[in-house]
Amino acid sequence: MEPILSIHNLEYRRGDFTLTVENQTFLKGRIYCLTGPNGAGKSTLLHLLALLLEPDRGEILFEGTLLKGAAERQRLRQRITLVEQAPFLFDTTVYDNLAFGLRLRDVGSDLQRRRIAKALQTVGLDGFESRRARALSGGEIRRVALARAMVLRPVVLLLDEPTDGLDRRILPLFERCLTALSDEGVTVIVATHDADQPGRLGGDILRLDGGRPASPAGASAPALSNEPTEKSS
Amino acid sequence: MGFLFESFQHAISLILSFDREVFNTVWTSLYTSTVAILLAAAVGVPFGTFLGLGRFAGRRAVLTLLNTLMALPTVVVGLVLFGLFSRQGPLGSWGFLFTPWAMIAGQMVLATPIVANYTVAAVAGADPRIMTTALTLGASRLRAMRQLLLETRFGIIAAIVAGFGRVIAEVGVAMMLGGNIRGYTRTMTTAIALETSKGEFAFGLALGIVLLTVALVVNLFLNLLQQR
Repeated sequence: MEPILSIHNLEYRRGDFTLTVENQTFLKGRIYCLTGPNGAGKSTLLHLLALLLEPDRGEILFEGTLLKGAAERQRLRQRITLVEQAPFLFDTTVYDNLAFGLRLRDVGSDLQRRRIAKALQTVGLDGFESRRARALSGGEIRRVALARAMVLRPVVLLLDEPTDGLDRRILPLFERCLTALSDEGVTVIVATHDADQPGRLGGDILRLDGGRPASPAGASAPALSNEPTEKSS
Repeated sequence: MGFLFESFQHAISLILSFDREVFNTVWTSLYTSTVAILLAAAVGVPFGTFLGLGRFAGRRAVLTLLNTLMALPTVVVGLVLFGLFSRQGPLGSWGFLFTPWAMIAGQMVLATPIVANYTVAAVAGADPRIMTTALTLGASRLRAMRQLLLETRFGIIAAIVAGFGRVIAEVGVAMMLGGNIRGYTRTMTTAIALETSKGEFAFGLALGIVLLTVALVVNLFLNLLQQR
């Protein structure tokens, strides 16, 4: 599989916190689970990969190309999408929320409608197009946010603890969406506190602790190495 | 008491009979104030957004200055602009003095700090996720800012309405820069001052009732927005 995102000697400092990642490559179509305690740097790493933050040192390569300049970062943000831990929906309808990114990409209205209907169906919210975003429950907001990211067909999808607090009945549907995206060639990087989630998603575990790559549980050598898990059925 | 009652009756009859003089004056007030507030919004909203989002040296000083400018005495604005627009002034060749445009300029100066200040409050108090979400969905920084303004639209409209409330009720700028010319630059406030001093209390009262009604509508609208 071809590398999609690569990190080299990355360092990001804010106050007392420093995130350091020497080398890490994310392959196309794979699922990666970022694990680690609170404050380990999972969200910061996701924000760096989403090109919302700039590293103080080191570089991030997209498809082997070094990212330089605001214009290029903005162009690439159309291919890398982040779903935040507490997603924000614009104060409008569900349809307009999903159409926001499509309009930025000049997707025609017919295709918009089809993609939005399909994405909402995938997350189990078909027929929600005309609902006001502010009237949705917490779980529905998370699913709309996932649909809003999916509809853009990003090359890399970043999710910050997407299932935290999600209704357990919805969890399998949510995780099926992520594995389906991975099967379609999307690289999915998920920050999670759920110890069983990497197993269910069949994702590689990337463990962070104190802003640094840490040894996977039970391992002796410190590394932010890929630790493949068996995909559960 | 009889005088007040009779004057009030006369004032109501002037309004209900659509007295030409009353409605000319009301029109001049509404026209100049509306143009002034639109121009103030065109300057104040982007400036307020920049101040609300920006983090730069001297920002606090600019905010303090803006707060001070909110309480600008109207006669001081009138005085400064009179100096600029008078024939001997640097902008005398524009021929603005004693025209509606001079009044609009003065009212714009009064309203811009109000619009900018309220915009700063709306933007700085907005959910920080608005910008991040727009950016992660592929928006440029400018497009993300537009989204922020859309999300804070009620605060922005409240800023504009508050500015309008200030300029429709002011008298100093309209008097000094407009000259209170009948049928041309006479506004509700200047007409009230003039007509009352001439003994035309009922006429002044009629305009006062219209002015109060406009202020009431503006405030009701503002309250409605604040409840959202």
